[in-house]
Amino acid sequence: MATSASPSNKALSKIACNRLQKELIEWQRNPPTGFTHKVTDNLQRWIIEVIGAPGTLYANDTYQLQVDFPEHYPMESPQVIFLHPAPMHPHIYSNGHICLDILYDSWSPAMTVNTICISILSMLSSSTEKQRPTDNDRYVKNCKNGRSPKETRWWFHDDKV
Amino acid sequence: MNVSGKKFSQESIGSERCEELEKSSSFYQKVYSEIEEIGWEPLRRLGGDLTFFSFHILDEKRRGHVLEIQLDRDYPKSPPSVSADVPFMFTLDWSISSRLKDVMFQFHKHLDNLQEFWSVLDDIDKSLCVVDVKQPSRASPVRRIDAGNDCILVVHINFDDPKSLPECRFIGPAPPAMHMNNLHMIWRRNSKKWSKEKSFPENLECILGTELPKPQGLQEEDDHQQVECGICYAQFLPTDEELGTRSGTRTDYTCENISCNKSFHSLCLTDWLRSITTTRQSFDVLFGNCPYCSDPVAVKISNK
Repeated sequence: MATSASPSNKALSKIACNRLQKELIEWQRNPPTGFTHKVTDNLQRWIIEVIGAPGTLYANDTYQLQVDFPEHYPMESPQVIFLHPAPMHPHIYSNGHICLDILYDSWSPAMTVNTICISILSMLSSSTEKQRPTDNDRYVKNCKNGRSPKETRWWFHDDKV
Repeated sequence: MNVSGKKFSQESIGSERCEELEKSSSFYQKVYSEIEEIGWEPLRRLGGDLTFFSFHILDEKRRGHVLEIQLDRDYPKSPPSVSADVPFMFTLDWSISSRLKDVMFQFHKHLDNLQEFWSVLDDIDKSLCVVDVKQPSRASPVRRIDAGNDCILVVHINFDDPKSLPECRFIGPAPPAMHMNNLHMIWRRNSKKWSKEKSFPENLECILGTELPKPQGLQEEDDHQQVECGICYAQFLPTDEELGTRSGTRTDYTCENISCNKSFHSLCLTDWLRSITTTRQSFDVLFGNCPYCSDPVAVKISNK
């Protein structure tokens, strides 16, 4: 049986749908610097292009983020991963999973796709070497069949990068 | 021999225990009566053994403050330790005959002294775009302000003289953009223009000779008078069978922290509080934290 990479395929609730429409309008009016939302008709999955900030290791590199929203967004965080190829970074696994607390335990409905993007860019910008996490191979092997990063029990320990 | 020895030691443990109980019951009585003098209404949290509690106190401008008090077992011999969201703590004037209401009195006086400092902070938070991730704190004299073009202004307010020229740094993208170098130069050249007669934001804009970005919330609220829920972003809940009679209701809960003041549908806030593990429930009230400013919130669970 094929497992899909998207979390649960349950449709967005009315509340989630309404909030996402407003977030999208706000994004179009005032997008975060370095990010472009690829226009699709799918409100539940956003594909966002990121350009590394000038003056950092990732300057001019482009990557793609995939943001999937759960049925009860914003009570639950969205699932955010990098599409292949994911940037080389000590907190980003080669399967695209990102170790960033606000995507999991520290999520709050006060955050938005916009603030998530800014956090991710800031995480990229403060990196001093292009390198995979030390446990990359073990982690990626354990995540076969497109397991969601939200099912991982993350351990956040490094606030420097 | 053995038996009587054992008995003897049991008795002595008994009397020690009695003494301890007596001591603690007089401790409880004392603490209770002293809280009563202050009144139970401002009491927010109370530790089971009465050695820890916190009060919610409004200052002159009705800003809410939380004063946390920790008592030692030999209170009032040793003074209580106090903490609060202030940039610096006052030195507690304490004698063996002092009571908790004296702590309150001194804390109120301390709050009065900080009124001008907080007015300046409120002014900044209200009319400029403060970029701290969470709601900026009342204890911190530092504000990071968006100055446009990816440049950030870090100001350090002097709490002894809050209306004076603040210490100021500029942070921007590396390599330094033209914009930032310009701002820095203008600041140095014009800082003599700082005037205590003007408000803080006015002074900044006057010295920098440019209009600074306005906070997003402000722009939006100007656009439409109605208040949107900080969680679902809608003024009215959708019409939905599941929501029953609450379909289409307005926001009905506002965070009590004056500088946050976010509005919510209590339904949305309840849904959020129920989805995290740190929330506590007592009867039909949920106790948790505002998703915006992290101040304590208490929401009644409404039945359909």
